[in-house]
Amino acid sequence: MEFLNLVIIFIAACLVLRKPHKERLAFGLLVVSVLLMVFLFSIATRTGLLPGVNY
Amino acid sequence: MRRDVLYTILALAVIALAVIPVGVAVFVLGFVYGDSPCVMCWEQRIGMALVALVGLFVLRYGPKPKYLGMAVLVAIWGVFMGIRHTGMHAARDVGQGFSAEILGAHTYTWALFIYWVSVATMGVLLLMTKKEDIEDQPRTLRPLEWLAGVVFLVVIAGNIIQAFASTGPPPFMGQSDPVRFSFNPTHWVWSLEEWSPAPISLRGRWSIDKPDVAAVSSEPGAGPLADLPILSVKTQSKLTLPLAGTPTDLAYDPATSQFLVTTQQGIYLADETLGKVNRHTVIDVGFAVDLGQFGGAAFLDKGAVMAVGENKSYVVLEPNDKADANANFRYFLESFDKFNEVSRSRFGTVRGRMMYTMSAAYDPATKSVYTVTVPNNKVKRLVISRFGRDLTLSEEFLPTIAAESGLKLTGKRTLDEFYVTGTAIADGRMYAISAAYNTLLTIDLHARAVVAAHAIPGLVRPTGIALKGEDLYIVGESGALWVVARPPN
Repeated sequence: MEFLNLVIIFIAACLVLRKPHKERLAFGLLVVSVLLMVFLFSIATRTGLLPGVNY
Repeated sequence: MRRDVLYTILALAVIALAVIPVGVAVFVLGFVYGDSPCVMCWEQRIGMALVALVGLFVLRYGPKPKYLGMAVLVAIWGVFMGIRHTGMHAARDVGQGFSAEILGAHTYTWALFIYWVSVATMGVLLLMTKKEDIEDQPRTLRPLEWLAGVVFLVVIAGNIIQAFASTGPPPFMGQSDPVRFSFNPTHWVWSLEEWSPAPISLRGRWSIDKPDVAAVSSEPGAGPLADLPILSVKTQSKLTLPLAGTPTDLAYDPATSQFLVTTQQGIYLADETLGKVNRHTVIDVGFAVDLGQFGGAAFLDKGAVMAVGENKSYVVLEPNDKADANANFRYFLESFDKFNEVSRSRFGTVRGRMMYTMSAAYDPATKSVYTVTVPNNKVKRLVISRFGRDLTLSEEFLPTIAAESGLKLTGKRTLDEFYVTGTAIADGRMYAISAAYNTLLTIDLHARAVVAAHAIPGLVRPTGIALKGEDLYIVGESGALWVVARPPN
């Protein structure tokens, strides 16, 4: 899944650099990538979502 | 001019973010040294790439609020990821950690720092940004800004290669314990372990219930030890002492002929009949070491008394008829001139970690304080901890059953089920009263073994025990007081 996310980031950066008129698409990919990162981190830490220290 | 400076700073920041953490991680640590990120490191690395990507958006489209907002959100999430990841290892011993160390700190620690710097940098850039900086049309990139974009793409391309080798295509994802990076496909491990079912929890193993004496079964026959002999209650009465709160433990000092009674926050020295309070105070448990609520009480040498919180924090007091009431205002809530506070600190345990305690006892022979753990919803172990003269952990063990005791566990039951709420020590023996199954355990501290156990029917939520002469005084949560004879062995 990290592979997929990095590919999305790569495409978004290419759009920004080479096809700047596709701003909305690039931003959409950015949002998808951010959400995917949050989702994957949450999956990886679902047994203890908060930092495992004393509160 | 000012706007050019801003974009130059931003371009340099994008290059720095792409090259130093993300680029070095893949090309140097990954491809040269074979380091592979764990699943959390991957997400932190991707988060840094995303912050840099937003930087490219700003270079191209100007500082639109949605980009700046996205950058702040990603960086704040990054700070959270850094705390979450660092928290797993923050309490380990010096030098210990997970995976590689860079400049004296492990990689996940640097992630926390880098995100923090990112947020700070964005704050500075925002302060310098003016309304007229917002662009309507995409900007024409200058050479340095193009360089930032190309560097970013090269770094991301490298990460795509590493991610494919280390984590695989979807649905495979990163692993908790990654395998060393290799360009050789026969060494690649693609895993679905993170997708396997697991309970969802906010605090995970730290989600531990506070001890509750009311939550355990008091029926001796339901306990893990079969056919226990019965210890009969000689007398039963009720404490009439004016206590603030309910009794949480009891101790007796033959040298001063006094009982020590603790409540949730109170410390009471009473006469040997438990009929009159000689002196007392109520501890201010906040504003310093958090003492929680007291679960254990013990007399130390020379009349000093100790109250131990359920969280294994403690306070040591010294009776003093001329105590400075004004100086003690910060320590006590009542009766300011009867004690001096000697120390307030915490016991550190190893096997007893992640468990609360409801007892404390002092052994004059070894000049040590003992605590016993109570099981909880996550950890179920009966751990006896000894703290020597310096009140530092000196011994810790899980008692066994002495062969000569004749005691037998039923089925697959264990001693860990006992819920020790009070202890007293004499002649190398610990007398531990368990609120679970109303059982008195006699533990040989030298042999580290239970040498006898007795059922005491009729107890209701016992919370403390003291040895006076040949009698054991057991106090209950309601203030009930039971006296039983000290077992012969």
